[in-house]
Amino acid sequence: MPIVTIDGTTYEYEGDQKLLQFCLNQGIELPHFCYHPAMSIPANCRQCLVKVGMPKKDRETGEVELDDDGDPVIQFFPQLQASCTIDLQDGMVVETHRTSEEVEDAQTDNLEFLLANHPLDCPICDQAGHCPLQIQAYKYGPEGSRFEFRKVHKPKRVKLGPRVTLDAERCINCTRCTRFTDEISGSGQLSITNRGVKNYPMTAPGEEFDDPYSMNTIDICPVGALTSTDFRFKARIWEMSSTPSITTTNATGANCHYWVRDNQVLRITPRQNMKVNEYWLPDEDRLVYNKFNDNRPDGPHIRRDGTLAGANWQQAFAKAAALLGSADPERILFLGSAHATVEDNYLLTQLADAVGADAPRYIPHIEPGAGDDWLITDDKTPNAEGCERLGIQPIDEQLVGTRLAEGAYDLVYVLEDDPVGSGLCSADDLADTDVVLHYYNTTNETLPRATAALPAAMVVETVGTYVNQDGRAQRVRPAKEIQGVNRTLMMEMGTNREDEHGTPFDRWHNDENRINCKPSWEILPEVAKKLGEDLDYPKGPKQVMDEVQSTLEAFEGATYDAMGLKGTQLEDVEAGAAA
Amino acid sequence: MEANGTPQSPAGDWRSYERMLLPPIQDLHKLDVYTKHGGYERLRRVLEDDDVAPDDITNEVKASGLTGRGGAGFPTGVKWTFMPEPDDRPRFLGVNGDESEPGTFKDRQVMEYNPHLMFEGILLAGYAMHIDTAYVYTRGEYTDWIALMAEQLENAYEAGYVGEDILGSDFSMDIVLHKGAGAYICGEETSLMESLEGKRGYPRYKPPFPAQKGIFSCPTTINNVETLAHVPLIVQEGGDAYSTIGAEDMPGAALYGMSGHVKQPGVYEYPTGMLLSDLIYDVCGGMARGEDLKAVVPGGSSVPPIRADQIDGLSMNDESLGEVGSRTGTFCPLVLDEETDMVSFTRRVAHFYQDETCGQCTPCREGTGWLENILARIDEGEGRMRDIDLILELCDNMDGGRTICAFADGAVGPIRAAVKRFRDEFEAKCEASVYPVSTDVSAGPDSAVAATE
Repeated sequence: MPIVTIDGTTYEYEGDQKLLQFCLNQGIELPHFCYHPAMSIPANCRQCLVKVGMPKKDRETGEVELDDDGDPVIQFFPQLQASCTIDLQDGMVVETHRTSEEVEDAQTDNLEFLLANHPLDCPICDQAGHCPLQIQAYKYGPEGSRFEFRKVHKPKRVKLGPRVTLDAERCINCTRCTRFTDEISGSGQLSITNRGVKNYPMTAPGEEFDDPYSMNTIDICPVGALTSTDFRFKARIWEMSSTPSITTTNATGANCHYWVRDNQVLRITPRQNMKVNEYWLPDEDRLVYNKFNDNRPDGPHIRRDGTLAGANWQQAFAKAAALLGSADPERILFLGSAHATVEDNYLLTQLADAVGADAPRYIPHIEPGAGDDWLITDDKTPNAEGCERLGIQPIDEQLVGTRLAEGAYDLVYVLEDDPVGSGLCSADDLADTDVVLHYYNTTNETLPRATAALPAAMVVETVGTYVNQDGRAQRVRPAKEIQGVNRTLMMEMGTNREDEHGTPFDRWHNDENRINCKPSWEILPEVAKKLGEDLDYPKGPKQVMDEVQSTLEAFEGATYDAMGLKGTQLEDVEAGAAA
Repeated sequence: MEANGTPQSPAGDWRSYERMLLPPIQDLHKLDVYTKHGGYERLRRVLEDDDVAPDDITNEVKASGLTGRGGAGFPTGVKWTFMPEPDDRPRFLGVNGDESEPGTFKDRQVMEYNPHLMFEGILLAGYAMHIDTAYVYTRGEYTDWIALMAEQLENAYEAGYVGEDILGSDFSMDIVLHKGAGAYICGEETSLMESLEGKRGYPRYKPPFPAQKGIFSCPTTINNVETLAHVPLIVQEGGDAYSTIGAEDMPGAALYGMSGHVKQPGVYEYPTGMLLSDLIYDVCGGMARGEDLKAVVPGGSSVPPIRADQIDGLSMNDESLGEVGSRTGTFCPLVLDEETDMVSFTRRVAHFYQDETCGQCTPCREGTGWLENILARIDEGEGRMRDIDLILELCDNMDGGRTICAFADGAVGPIRAAVKRFRDEFEAKCEASVYPVSTDVSAGPDSAVAATE
């Protein structure tokens, strides 16, 4: 196998590889700005310079010349090379800043140049704290600057589009954003304008940067030049904690981080998963964070004398159980949910079975034509595949809608969905029907008709599993705290929620931001218990999922350990043959 | 040296030289005049003679020792051999007429007075390298000459010299005129290719070289306008004969674009290797203002200037100019007399590069502006002694492979040389510093204070 020697350590490699990426793969850090593994190599930041040499070959015989010790004589290129452009070759010898003073100096000099016209407004810059320029300037840069002149001034606060704001002075012209629109999203909306030190990315005159993936340019910008119009100046990086999870806006199951401060989700950013979303996240997945904070319920409510009134959880469980116990099982409709986790839907199936009702069905949320064959799908729910695999079928909307209107059901048990809001039936249709509703937001249109309203934890507050459209089972973890004590949630939070500096705690303590809700996997067993049924999973959703994967072939292997941070691919199953 | 002690000119008996590139013929730019004086005959001979294979042309050019006249001076024939064997991909010839370096204005003469010689050279080069499309990338400001060339090209198409089955042979070639938009960087070969493709004029890193992956990722050779104009002459004279003209290391005719403080500036055609003293005092009639000579910039603003006391015996070929740390560049000497303020001159040069850097690579983008700032400060009498060493250090940090293309090398070359060779002038303009002059001005914590004052 061909070898390459980096800083005296020899590595084997296979195939065609670029030196910089190879080093990064080996855990050898090389400073760089413009290079991004998903895009073409422009080699323009000049930060990843290294010294490269090859064994000297005799011109006539073609054999490698050896020195007195029998080692090959290494002939170094006279000039430093940008490692991002160098193809590995057998026998190549590389010296990085760790072993070569020349390289170290060159990297320092380059950072002095980079910072010459950079505004150095880190104290007010959104990128500070996780800024590649800031980090690498401290690590590899000069102690001070010899630049004693007025810095070049360029446009600030430029609204490139509805979601991205440009501060051109911070731009180091790495062209990652323009390459993103050219090569990844394909919109080609950004280009560099002007020449030399005056240049910065811009749209064509009169055009706006409304690419549905525009906010990815904010993530890949190695400085604070491209900022989120929405998130600008809202929070410092070190004030927030981030939790690895997935988005639930559609059926892609894109991996993401939820950024939380004071138990409020402030932004959503992509998390690398080459099997799902690679490095990217559509804008529509990001701008939904308000639904986790706003219009959230304040504890359970029970209908008394025609009006919904606050109750405690035990009363709510008892009410739900009483409704289930008194209704004719054949006249109960259980609605599962493609918004809810596999665990919650499974427990609902158990509950429906326990009361002797028909198996749950779920309401599909399909917007034909909304998808783009990439990360945006027609299906606007995260777990339709999971429901199918549990044997939960989509309802025939017309049939069920008519039956609801005809009063064919005495009780509808809704898991984390909104039959009225989704157009399945009208509020009036439910006038004579009891409704037990697990719901997320007070904007839920079924809520005014609910007999027992049970606030459910959302994806950012719960533990569970979602299966995306390609059959990939992925875990979610709690990013923000809810009211009440739940050991499972606290354990998960303690082990997964970290800020940029590895501290697991949200140091803000505003109890008002903690929602009085419970995950459905806690509610459903409680309701069952009041009914005298045993739905006992003391170890929480982990135990539920263990049971699911060991009893249902469609979920085989999807343990929490196997899913880890990147999920696990489930075997394909015949449609409808699951469960 | 001759017996009488005057230096021997490598250009030989240049006074009796007969012009070949720009012969003194009225209306030579017109097709009928050009053909009447033997124009396109070399092309006809090559196409009609079955014994002349494409490689023969390349070998003749190689034998002639012709070097590129765009500034870098790379051997043209060798460059042609870099082209891979023909495959199913199209192949392109890029003709670099983006002449925009300050002090350089000789390609213009070819395009204006002898465009058909360039076209013939393009066709011969195309034949030699199996190329069927040539793009003539011309500096956008040369509007008049682009119009003129377009007209003449049309005539050549009509007469069957360009286009399908040229002169009844099975060789076909198209020539496309392309107008640049006024960026100096687009004269850099890879940047020229990007610009031709409709992109920003950002140079590409190499490898891959143009011959492997050029215009539209196809095999490409880029040659300067004047370089290609030499090709018909080489085919006519034969490579070996052509190699005897002028200086040995870069033989052939040359267009000298003389400018600056000389009595008769202009473009003169002589063999390579002309003595600088001959060019200034003989060809151009001496110094314009009667002042003494101070410096010569031998070939466009990007080559290092030479002090007057060094020019004795120096001739216009790289071997000779290399002895004093300079190059022939574009063969366009800029002559400066004693009244010239070298600080101001250097500042103006720095301004040009600051304005023209494409901004792609960090050291060049930031460094060119920084250098101009410092030079402006010195020029205005606000400089500090340590600024001079800072200039030299910044120059070292910018060139030598720190950037994708050679622009930064071209920018710092003249600045570094001017500071080193005329340091007394820079020092005279700097006020005395309270801090000791040190090249390590920000090398450690103790010196950091001095660095920022």
